[in-house]
Amino acid sequence: MNPQLIRDLVTLLGSNAVLHQPEDLMLYEYDGSVELGSPKCIVFPNSAREVSEIVRLANRYEVPLLGRGAGTGLSGGAIARDGGLIVVFSRMNRILEIDEANLRAVVQPGVVNLDLSRAVEHLGLYFAPDPSSQKSCTIGGNVSENSGGPHTLANGVTTNHVTGIEVVLPDGEIVRVGGKNIETSGYDLNGLFVGSEGTLALVTEITVRLTRKAEAVKTLLAVYETIDDATGSVFDITVRAITPAACEMLDGFTLCAVEDYVHAGFPKDCAAVLLIEVEGLTEAVEAQATEIMDVCRKNHAREVRVARDDRERALLWKGRKEAFGALGRISPMYYVQDGVIPRTRLPETLRRIAEISRKYDLQIGNIFHAGDGNLHPLILFDERNREQFARVVAAGTEIMEHCVAVGGALTGEHGIGMEKNELMSLIFSPDDLALMSRVRAAFNPAGRLNPGKVLPLGKACGEIRIPHLPAPATTTA
Amino acid sequence: MSQFAHNSLVQNSIIRLEEIVGAAHVHTSAEDLASRQADGILPSAVVQPAGAVEIAEVLRFAAAEKLSVIPSGGGTKLGIGSPPSRYDLALDVSRLNHVLAYDPQDLTLGVEPGVRIEDLLRVLTEKKQFLPLAVPFADRATIGGIVATNSSSPLRHAYGGVRDFCLGMEFVTGEGIQAKSGGRVVKNVTGYDLHKLLIGSLGTLGIITRVNFRTFPVLPAQGAFVATFSSAEGAFGFCAAIAHSVIAPQIVEVADPGAARLLFSAGAAARIEPRTWPVIISAAGQPAVVDRSARELGYMAGASEAEEFIQLGEAEAPAVLTRIREFPRLILEAAPSAAIFRIGVLPTAMAGLMRELHSLTHKCNMDLLAMARASGILYAAILPKEGDPMTAASLTGAVKQVFDACNNPEIGASAMLEWCPPEIKSAAGGVWGAPRKDFGLMQRVKKSFDPNGVLSPGRFAGGI
Repeated sequence: MNPQLIRDLVTLLGSNAVLHQPEDLMLYEYDGSVELGSPKCIVFPNSAREVSEIVRLANRYEVPLLGRGAGTGLSGGAIARDGGLIVVFSRMNRILEIDEANLRAVVQPGVVNLDLSRAVEHLGLYFAPDPSSQKSCTIGGNVSENSGGPHTLANGVTTNHVTGIEVVLPDGEIVRVGGKNIETSGYDLNGLFVGSEGTLALVTEITVRLTRKAEAVKTLLAVYETIDDATGSVFDITVRAITPAACEMLDGFTLCAVEDYVHAGFPKDCAAVLLIEVEGLTEAVEAQATEIMDVCRKNHAREVRVARDDRERALLWKGRKEAFGALGRISPMYYVQDGVIPRTRLPETLRRIAEISRKYDLQIGNIFHAGDGNLHPLILFDERNREQFARVVAAGTEIMEHCVAVGGALTGEHGIGMEKNELMSLIFSPDDLALMSRVRAAFNPAGRLNPGKVLPLGKACGEIRIPHLPAPATTTA
Repeated sequence: MSQFAHNSLVQNSIIRLEEIVGAAHVHTSAEDLASRQADGILPSAVVQPAGAVEIAEVLRFAAAEKLSVIPSGGGTKLGIGSPPSRYDLALDVSRLNHVLAYDPQDLTLGVEPGVRIEDLLRVLTEKKQFLPLAVPFADRATIGGIVATNSSSPLRHAYGGVRDFCLGMEFVTGEGIQAKSGGRVVKNVTGYDLHKLLIGSLGTLGIITRVNFRTFPVLPAQGAFVATFSSAEGAFGFCAAIAHSVIAPQIVEVADPGAARLLFSAGAAARIEPRTWPVIISAAGQPAVVDRSARELGYMAGASEAEEFIQLGEAEAPAVLTRIREFPRLILEAAPSAAIFRIGVLPTAMAGLMRELHSLTHKCNMDLLAMARASGILYAAILPKEGDPMTAASLTGAVKQVFDACNNPEIGASAMLEWCPPEIKSAAGGVWGAPRKDFGLMQRVKKSFDPNGVLSPGRFAGGI
């Protein structure tokens, strides 16, 4: 990187806000995915004005740049694919306003998701999107990725909870879009920016809705001898028009790893469990819980138990939210997918994943948001085994192709990033992609902001990218 | 105005359009053209394509010939927006009137834009489901227009707006390119959410050819309630109490005394004092939930010093809710020259804005009828006093003052003049209020979708 740019950045931000030594840069080479990329410089701005100045410097020196929160993303969105600058928002972490009367909060992008909920807990409020990484992921990252979480089944994803943002455009201009009002006349630019994976602008302030905590919550654990019975229950819950706050499935293999890790009281000898939560008025919760128990029993649940207290409930959720980590303990690497299917196709899809697991001789754990059809198959592998790695890529692609074939989508909440951008053509036509590309160019004309993300580069068509190793021998689509 | 305006679309163009959609589907009679007028401006032809492929071909032809195109379906909302700067072709999507996919077990739906909302809701009711689109002109309004105008529904309180339950869209851009975004599944972050841009875009970005929605189960029991208050402060204070309680109604609407007379003119009229501010609430769920809601709402109404709290009977509740849904239409039927604002405003600013609007219309010697969706949308209609013919000049003056009141930083509201006589639109300096700070970004979006300005030119904010 041009040493003069480093000097300019230090002049702008101070030496304690610029990292450029190799040992410091290494910490920013990865995120929560299996991707890697080497940045040349890391900067820590304190304000939108500083972000704007950074962007202008990057333009002057023609250096790519991207934003990053906590780096917990699962598709490589916050990785410097083409080197360049990473703008880390960890110092812009203030909650600027809590407007209780209007149920809004104004936050900087570096505010940790759970910290906002904690800050409004005493008001009986919370921030609804709850990704499993909510203890560390930032709201800026949530906005970029349009993050979800287990409880988005009833409450919606990030885009449903953002009413305004301030952005710095790739030319350095600072613009406000929307505000606290639920409606502003004109195009819904919030809707475009949220989920654009940091490719259109850097977000420097966010106005979010706050949600009132329900009066009552009940968490149920249903235990099954077969996966078909578990998926059948999800199907019936949807068909009976019960909308739980969350409906999660963990398969038996995953449960064993989870139980050894968190000791939440999950059975280690079953095929699958459903973790179902209902919330609302006491009366509604009672009625729904009774009906769900009925559905589970009709689908041959071996046991349906209700968490007795908050402690037991928290423990069950800890098991779910730390499931990825639990599997990480028993395998050197895992590759997590995020496909979505129509909920009615759940039983056949799980059977298909089991077939693929057998076909490629790979262990696949299933942990997912069953209620909205958002799958997280985790393919376990050892990155040193190159032959196995090729099978991982092939199996992953085959699962994705199945999701698309039954009318689903490539990603429900993790984003396309640099991992699935070459698979976009499974869903979108060249015309669809050309329009998306044109919209990106309208905001990011030089392509300098977060290059190589979301849209296909056309280098490896129809293939998942797991870049730790040389490209696999087989092309699978 | 177009070089071809006033029915002088050259014969060659008509022949080409007939080749694309069939001779039976191109209309140029005075009556047909009048049926598609926008702010008194007539198109030169009405074209009725059969599907996305024909729409794309019509748009490519229009782009090549520099013709402008305005889409419509039921034609109920062609009056919304600025007067078109050009209007050559009316693109009528009525033939795209199929439910393409309905999977009740998955609670998802894919429909064409020409499907009438009333017909669609009937299909959904058979499966005990619905879409939260209780929108005006329900007997004629079609999905495309509802989405393109982001038509407002009182059910927004519980279910959000179109953007919150629209899963994806297919559309044709101004260059005649068929494109899509989103999908059919309920959770999806694959690619840019371009379809969100089309919601409320008034036909300026693309012609919608398919919309995918999530559907919702009809809840087993419902109850409708009215609490009446002697002041706006009392009514909005009650709404705040509801918002800060665990009760989660589906609908919470506040009517000012003028709107109250309109809503309760039939059936329940005798029970609602005409000078009061009623808050109308609908709660739904398990019967026990409705019972509990009734009790708590009654208690909160009492604590907010309501004059009365009543539960509407099974016969009168649908009538009142229908009148809330049709509020703009009822006003326009009663006073065709009314000016109706749709205003995004925070709950805490509502009472103050209401007071301000009443005071300024009173000073202008006019009437104000206003209804508020308690979660943040205010409908305010300015009407002539009974027996007093309103002049365009006085209405224009009042309209400007409403915009000014909304722009007051202490109110911070976002106003759009949704309905008014065409002559007011230009006299009042437009219907879109003060330009948004991000107007430059809207222009970039427009250029990406419709670089040649074929689609609904001049209708949108800032002349887009």
